[in-house]
Amino acid sequence: MDTKRYIQIITSAFFGLCLMLSTAYAQQTITGQVVDVNDEPLAGATVIVDGTDRGASTDVDGQFTLQASPDETLIVRFVGYQSQEILVGDQTEFTITLRVDDQLLDDVVVIGYGVQERSDLTGSIASVSGDQIANQPVASLDGALQGRASGVFVSTPSGTPGAGITMNIRGQTSISGSSEPLYVIDGVPIISEDLSGLFSGGQATNSLADLNPNDIESIEILKDASATAIYGSRGANGVVLISTKRGEAGQSNIGFSMYTGFQQVTNKIDMHSSQEFLELMNDAARQDNRDLGTDYSDTHVSDIWGFDPNDDNLQNTVWYDEIFRTAPISNYELNASGGTESTRYFTSLSYFDQEGTQLGTGFERISGRLNLDTEVTDWLDFGANVTLNRTLQDRVINDNSLYGVVINSLAGDPLMPVFEEDGSYADPFSYFGWWMLDNPVLIAEEYQRFTNTTRGIGTVFGVASISDQLAFRTSLNIDYTSLEDEAYTPIISRESQDAQRNGFGNFGTTQDFTWLIENYLSYSNTFGDRHNVNGVLGTSFQQSNRDFSSINAQGFPSDQFLKLSVASQVTSASTSGTSWGLASYFFRGNYTFDDRYLFTVTGRLDGSSRFGENFRYGFFPSGSFAWRMTNESFMQNQTIFSELKPRISYGITGNQDGIGNFASRGLFGVSDYRATPTLVPTQLSNANLTWESTKQLDVGIDIGLFDDRINMSADYFVKNTEDLLLNRLIPGISGFSSVTDNIGRVENRGFEFDVRGVILAESDFSWTSSFNISFIRNEVKELEVNNQVLSDSHILAEGEPIGTFYLIDHEGVDPETGNMLWIDENEDGVIDSGDRRIVGNAQPDFYGGFGNNFTYRGFDLNVLFQFTYGNDVFNHSRASYENLGWSRIGIPGIFPLPDGNNHSLADDRWMEPGDVTDIPRASLTNKNWREYSTRWLEDGSYLRLKTLTLGYNFSPDFTQRLGMRSMRIYTQGQNLLTFTNYTGLDPEVNQNARNPLLAGSDFGTLPQSRTISFGINLEF
Amino acid sequence: MKKLSIILLLTALIVAITSCDVLDTEPQTSLDPEAALVDAASAQAVLLGAYSRMQVGSYYGIEYTLNNDLVADNAQMLGFFDSQLEIDSGNVPISNLWIGNAWVNIYRVVNIANQLIDAVPDIEDEAFTTRDRVLGEAHAIRALAYFDLLRVFGEHFDTSSNFGMPLLLEPIENNDFNLIPDLNRSSVTDTYAQIMDDLNIALQLMGDGYVDNERLSYWSTLALRARVNLYRQDYAAAFDDADRVIEESPYTLVEDVNDLFGADITSTTSESIFDLVFNDQDQSSYYTFVFQRNEYRTDSSLLDAFEDGDERGALFIGDNDRSAKWANSDNANNARILRLGEMYLIRSEAAVYREATPVPALGTDDLNVIRNRAGLGDLDPLATEEEYIDALLQERRVELNFEGHRFFDLVRFDRIGDVLGRDDFRKVFPIPRDELLASDNLEQNPNYPEP
Repeated sequence: MDTKRYIQIITSAFFGLCLMLSTAYAQQTITGQVVDVNDEPLAGATVIVDGTDRGASTDVDGQFTLQASPDETLIVRFVGYQSQEILVGDQTEFTITLRVDDQLLDDVVVIGYGVQERSDLTGSIASVSGDQIANQPVASLDGALQGRASGVFVSTPSGTPGAGITMNIRGQTSISGSSEPLYVIDGVPIISEDLSGLFSGGQATNSLADLNPNDIESIEILKDASATAIYGSRGANGVVLISTKRGEAGQSNIGFSMYTGFQQVTNKIDMHSSQEFLELMNDAARQDNRDLGTDYSDTHVSDIWGFDPNDDNLQNTVWYDEIFRTAPISNYELNASGGTESTRYFTSLSYFDQEGTQLGTGFERISGRLNLDTEVTDWLDFGANVTLNRTLQDRVINDNSLYGVVINSLAGDPLMPVFEEDGSYADPFSYFGWWMLDNPVLIAEEYQRFTNTTRGIGTVFGVASISDQLAFRTSLNIDYTSLEDEAYTPIISRESQDAQRNGFGNFGTTQDFTWLIENYLSYSNTFGDRHNVNGVLGTSFQQSNRDFSSINAQGFPSDQFLKLSVASQVTSASTSGTSWGLASYFFRGNYTFDDRYLFTVTGRLDGSSRFGENFRYGFFPSGSFAWRMTNESFMQNQTIFSELKPRISYGITGNQDGIGNFASRGLFGVSDYRATPTLVPTQLSNANLTWESTKQLDVGIDIGLFDDRINMSADYFVKNTEDLLLNRLIPGISGFSSVTDNIGRVENRGFEFDVRGVILAESDFSWTSSFNISFIRNEVKELEVNNQVLSDSHILAEGEPIGTFYLIDHEGVDPETGNMLWIDENEDGVIDSGDRRIVGNAQPDFYGGFGNNFTYRGFDLNVLFQFTYGNDVFNHSRASYENLGWSRIGIPGIFPLPDGNNHSLADDRWMEPGDVTDIPRASLTNKNWREYSTRWLEDGSYLRLKTLTLGYNFSPDFTQRLGMRSMRIYTQGQNLLTFTNYTGLDPEVNQNARNPLLAGSDFGTLPQSRTISFGINLEF
Repeated sequence: MKKLSIILLLTALIVAITSCDVLDTEPQTSLDPEAALVDAASAQAVLLGAYSRMQVGSYYGIEYTLNNDLVADNAQMLGFFDSQLEIDSGNVPISNLWIGNAWVNIYRVVNIANQLIDAVPDIEDEAFTTRDRVLGEAHAIRALAYFDLLRVFGEHFDTSSNFGMPLLLEPIENNDFNLIPDLNRSSVTDTYAQIMDDLNIALQLMGDGYVDNERLSYWSTLALRARVNLYRQDYAAAFDDADRVIEESPYTLVEDVNDLFGADITSTTSESIFDLVFNDQDQSSYYTFVFQRNEYRTDSSLLDAFEDGDERGALFIGDNDRSAKWANSDNANNARILRLGEMYLIRSEAAVYREATPVPALGTDDLNVIRNRAGLGDLDPLATEEEYIDALLQERRVELNFEGHRFFDLVRFDRIGDVLGRDDFRKVFPIPRDELLASDNLEQNPNYPEP
């Protein structure tokens, strides 16, 4: 010890002695050392005296010195470690050991309107921590939730950057209404639907992509009625509670993280080369000779077209290579957090840039956030959360649109080049594939479609502690979105040329302003040491106003312009608007007896402007009970179970989303004739229109083993949704084919299982693992009109689930003739849409995820597999690239014009009598081709290596020499491997995202990307 | 401190109570029905609304017209959609999309007419001087809608048949869908009787001073009655009506066929009796599907049907011989529902058949008028009824192609077997599947399946 130190100690001791002698509780000098479990000193830890401004940081040796009196408490904190609180008492020297914060589950769980200890939960809630989803190369947070929680089915219907994602919690509950859950961020239920007016062939924009996933501290997914009923009329589809990061007292933290990587499509389809294309066409002619008695030559088609199949210099365009590319993705983030006991802050700024794997797509976002908590007086806290974001989505038309990029590439003629020799775009009408309407590279590069969104979500709240047991919280929240769509169809496009117009331009805006005021009292007290009571009582009012505008113009001087002022003619301009409101009153009561028997009761009364006058208000109650068996006397002497909590809950929640804001009223709308405005009836009224209500029973158990080393939970649930909002078929003599009514019943029943455990925890190696699986069966129980045909491929029928396929069926290929054995369902001698029948559905038998986390010294490895099994997919795209030579137009004998090329699987087709295969013979006729048939119905089961992350944490010694607190580098892969029998681009895709009635249909949809990225996280 | 928290509580409560009006939201682009038929101006707006509803794609926006040529031998479909491919093939399943839409949309026009007929006599408005005319026009509109329904879904060619249309003649009470009556199909005779009744009342109320060839005014209604009488085989009445229209109405034949149809012909001509108006702000879909999407193509048998020298043979343009009648690229060509040319053809047929035994010679003059206008010489004398029918069908085909007549003509003369190779029961389209599911009393047409 040096002299300075010596003097310090003597002086402090002297003063300390004086103080000690003067008053019994006078402050004295406290010294100590903070170490970890291996006795290594922790430098830079914070030691605070609770309730005061006194504090210190530990030095390089982990030592600290403070003034504190014996009745005060020290709070010791260090990032990444569990905090400790120590009463000073008689001690003046301390050795404080901090444990790494490797808890699998946080003790405190965010629930609706409050927080609760995990051990006190009576409902079914899944938690995902922010770390699990941080720094994943996805645009929005819901994309990172796949495979992480049981009962939560997330599917990415398209690889389009910034596209909407489908999430269903415990099955699809609604047919016409939305089945998407309610998203609540820091207490604010936010807009999560697509606000864009641009037609993009079925892919919605994702307004959750407006938010930065790295701001998230934790996500709680509320699944059963007991947890969701407090959200009443919007809780039927489950609730996703998102909490963003907040500052903590003591330590200031500055973090910088970035990742950058590249993406490619997970899958491309192998197509025939030009030579193989010509050979197949010639084979088609020969096969027809055998089967139909025609008399074509051996090289019939290639002769007519003027090509020699043996020519080595044939143009051979591989269309998927032309439209897909390797695309970069990167993210930069800077955040700072910290504060004192009285004021704490978290602030972040980030920039995300993702180019799409298909030409012409991309997504960019700038996002900023400030979360503030402050204690104004000792009984009043204030706080504010503000986030401001700007996104830019570069889009194309895709999926089920004539002018989509992938759609037009599906059966792309390999004999057609992308560009002619003079540099102009090749015109598909000069070549032989009939399917392609316009050059897909032209569509991707020359069409312009942008959606810009500015989004702000802000909350100001105050919490007043009226007494030790009673607190009052009030908050004002605003969710504001301003969205602009801009689109331009170029002069050189087929669309423009067919319409004889020099280009079309479109501009539209959507502005949504939603405010929410919530006030509630919360009460917490313990009586007689055994009776614990908590209560919440509050009100909530919300209103949303939405305004739209749209302008269309045509006639541009050249393709360089996007703005409409240069257009020669404005063809339409209009504005419109709508609004809705919600008024609610809610309460929750918890009663715990002796920490063993837990009871919860909630109720919420909701009134919505969307519903008929007679049924505007709905009441949504729930009740649940849990038994903490581990606190019983007979469980005290065992060491196996650290938690054994069976629970049961029952409740009613509602759904009002997905219908129009004025669906209950008879309405006259405005149209025009001869430039005079007219009034036309647009809707019949239904004064009885009301909420869908879901009754859910949940029986579950939470188990902790070996001191919470292993945690399991299992749930069995039955959800009955009645009063389904559905388009009810009415007699058309009324002038309307349907009206929105509450009819129909859907049931979801299932079993969920979650387990996570620490398998190994040595000093320098650890392994934790988690697994979840869900079996959910969905069934439409009752419809007003059974067997409603919804589209060319889907039907809604009692006894079948939502998303049932209705297609022409077959019995395979006749080995003698190579022709399809279609089933003539209605026995009328003709195979057409009247022969469709129920053939399968898009619902999985089970789905889940399997994750493992390994750490070895500074390294960590995280692996997540995700799987879905038993769902069918209608591979509509395949109908075009397995045409086997059929000439859709043109005359087979004289000038054949097939849809285009075929995929390599066409090599498995029937060639001669005796062949046994499931692909029929090639033909110039359409005998064996039906667009809406089970020839294209495939198994969509898959197992995917969803995420693989390998990282390294540099040791504190090393980082401190650089002036940093911690440094981590990592590499990450997303969607690295997919195991599936599906022959299309991606078994998860869905042309109609968020429309469960048309689920499981793949038609020119962009597949997801395989991403490899490298990143670094720094903390100062 | 306690004081402050109490104040906070009170503020919050006040805020809470005053926020109760969040539930009172009003639609910004629609009206409640109570506000819709209250005075002269709104009655006029609702009346015009009927025409707006005639403009929909499945009605006169394109499909009612062109699907007629498609199901017959004038047009062929080279597009994607099953709905039109099925119609082109002639095998229309009960699940066909167009018949489902057409049923509902045409009945919407009936619904509007019913509301007017019910409400207009009771509207209190001193400024409502055109009350009779509005009421009359509503009747005429209802007649047109029922006639159009009957021709597609009912056995309009057989007055002894029971397969007419369900006749709804009153508005839905309270707009409440629970109060939609479950009607049986009326007989064909009763359906015609209702149509005639509506037409007669209309003519009486409107008076011949009401002249407007863009709406169902006096002469339009009279011309419509001529057509209805022809279909229901009351040839004497058909002759009288067609004759009056030709001789007494203000309309005259356009002299040059090229001034009758084309990309530039976007407003009414001197020959238009009733045009449904479209313009570039209020577009139809004819150009889109015939030219831009290239789907409704001209059948080669039609192109071959023109005699040498027939100027109408040139009314097909471009590499793909598409009908010039719909060539305006803003979809601004009017839909020609009734025109003077058709009146001549009606008068010809009525003249021949109003005698006890058909007299072909009586019909040749009017056929020649149409032929001469198109640059052709007179017909050779027609000796037999067969020859007359051939000449009539030929003339109707080359004159009225792509205007929604061909299939009905073949049906009326019982020729779908010979010309189209179809079974008899396919003279009518099936009742849509959804309608049969939603009603208990509605009966399907013979030989078509139940759902």
